[in-house]
Amino acid sequence: MSISSVAKLGRSSVDKCAHLGRALQFLVHLLSIKPRPLANFKYLMEEMFAVGVQSLIIMVVSGLFVGMVIALVGYTILAKFGGAQQLGQLVALSVLRELGPVMTALLFAGRAGSALTAEIGLMKTTEQLAAMEMMAVDPYSRVFSPRFWAGVYSMPLLMLIFSSVAIFGGYLVGVRWLGVDAGSFWSNMQVAVSFRYDVCQSIIKSVVFGFVVTWIAVFQGVDSKPTAAGMARATTMTVVSSSLAVLALDFILTTMMIGGW
Amino acid sequence: MGRVPAIACFGFFRHTALKNNALDERPVGQQAIISLQHVQFHREQREIFSDLTLEIPRGKITAIMGPSGTGKTTALRLIAGQLIPDAGKVIVDGQSIPELSRKELFACRKHLGMLFQNSALFTNLTVFENVAFPLREHTKLPEAVIRTLVLMKLEAVGLRGASELLPVELSGGMARRVALARAIVFDPTILLYDEPFTGLDPITMGVIVKLIRELNEAYDMTSVIVSHDVKETASIADYIYLIADGRVVGFGSPEEMLSHHDLRVRQFMQGLPDGPVPFHYPSRRAYDQELLS
Amino acid sequence: MKSRTGDVVVGIFVILGALAFLFLALKVSGLTSLSDNGGYLLKANFNNVGDLKVRAPVTLAGVKVGNVESIGLNAKTYQATVTLKIMPNIKLPGGTTASIFTEGLLGNNYISLTPGYEESNLKPGALITDTHSAIILENLIGQLIFNNSKKK
Repeated sequence: MSISSVAKLGRSSVDKCAHLGRALQFLVHLLSIKPRPLANFKYLMEEMFAVGVQSLIIMVVSGLFVGMVIALVGYTILAKFGGAQQLGQLVALSVLRELGPVMTALLFAGRAGSALTAEIGLMKTTEQLAAMEMMAVDPYSRVFSPRFWAGVYSMPLLMLIFSSVAIFGGYLVGVRWLGVDAGSFWSNMQVAVSFRYDVCQSIIKSVVFGFVVTWIAVFQGVDSKPTAAGMARATTMTVVSSSLAVLALDFILTTMMIGGW
Repeated sequence: MGRVPAIACFGFFRHTALKNNALDERPVGQQAIISLQHVQFHREQREIFSDLTLEIPRGKITAIMGPSGTGKTTALRLIAGQLIPDAGKVIVDGQSIPELSRKELFACRKHLGMLFQNSALFTNLTVFENVAFPLREHTKLPEAVIRTLVLMKLEAVGLRGASELLPVELSGGMARRVALARAIVFDPTILLYDEPFTGLDPITMGVIVKLIRELNEAYDMTSVIVSHDVKETASIADYIYLIADGRVVGFGSPEEMLSHHDLRVRQFMQGLPDGPVPFHYPSRRAYDQELLS
Repeated sequence: MKSRTGDVVVGIFVILGALAFLFLALKVSGLTSLSDNGGYLLKANFNNVGDLKVRAPVTLAGVKVGNVESIGLNAKTYQATVTLKIMPNIKLPGGTTASIFTEGLLGNNYISLTPGYEESNLKPGALITDTHSAIILENLIGQLIFNNSKKK
């Protein structure tokens, strides 16, 4: 009995390692694609549309609400200490350092990542990928690579838009509704926010997140079992594992950045 | 029938588009264009082929038949190089498929068309764009030439009028005809059909049978059909291989196969419910024992 | 046609991203005041700068006229040397004084300038000698207690 459960554990860890190995192999293959700028530009545009533009609405709406909530909560706390004019700083720093990159990546995993997995999984199930290979067209350069790079490029753009909208939401609630002075809202923010340490590092974060989330999404689609249950599992796995990866990486990156990297 | 020569005269395209390829110097005569020698293959500890040897003659329609789950499709994928055998040789037109690099394999596949069981049309492209896909990917032909070529292939399968439809708007039979048009757009020398008759109504089935026959004649192609539909396959195939238990159990023309000396072959070809392949799945205990226990 | 509109939309998406970047760079992190057409530097020595930070605003009569460029320590006098970047169109007369104030009770520190009455203007790199250090709350409370106890 105990032997068999040990064996089970062993088998599942071997499976996990094999899965990780396949994922890395896939990534290496994906990155080794020679760029064909002219031919692939069209596909990149198509995928930027599917991956980036279609995630725009959810980013704008959730960004607005996130900013408004931070302003509201922050104001009630700061007002107790008579520091309500620091609201701009609070909103901008929390959005830029953490919430912008992380929320964008999580929303992206749920909106675009799962869609990517489902699309590629379906192409695999219906033998479209096999058909493409039979027509001597490499799915790596025709299907996977444009989707992957579209994700990597879209994520920072979405993050920038999300953060701007969130700060604007904070401005609406803090200045327009709660009556914080607009001048001190913006000037305190400008004193506290450093372009290099806050804006640039949030961009670095979101590029890393975009890379990881899209990699997971595309790989899960490619590695899915060609059945309905396998597809459902792959989509769930995309959201779960990319969310975990984003949160863990965020901790690592923040540690590195605070550590004066 | 009048449309077939019109397509055949476009054979020049094969020479312009597919130049500098070894396949142009083909050996003449009745030789095997595809040969599998002592192929072994297993998938997840299940042995699919123990020792598969078969030869497919050039310019003929050869069928690979067998009961479900015997690995007919696997054989097709071995020929196409999508799977690599554990042992044995797979030679297609003089090239050893398992030893080719990815690039060489892709070059080789330009002469290999394949019709998938579920058509495998690209769902986000129209019928026209589906057929045009290989041309757009591999050539830099002007739009007018692509249009002509695509419309000719669609005309050949009788679906020129459907060129602006999306795959979801097509019936199963129409989708398969579009897939056929796409498979022949490069005028391949070998066309592989994976279960071309499955799930079609009798009329569409007749259309597909007719198309396979016509295409084979008009393009001087070698056709390999994987199927378990005996009647339709026997009506067009020149030769039939019967696979069971990981090896070839019978080979011959359809007439020979129907009166084959091997009981297993006869059982399959005539569709008898009981015979060497038992009706009952083997059980450990006898029927009466199990009922009374 | 279809892919054309798609391209346009993607283009708009990229432009939106760029605008958001500009917003974050200019409005949120206040990059303008650093990079804009120069301005000139002034130095001021303080006994204590308190909580003053780099890029804190420098104001004159409540209007922003520059930023704190850098804060260092003069090893000889043990004073803090603050370099101020003043907008080029602001000419300050000699005898100008600099004081460190706090915005509200808990707010950030900033430098407030009070113009002097001399004829000549301060040249770039000049030192402001008359300074008032930051008011440290703890010291203030300490003084208060000390004074009270002396009165008794």
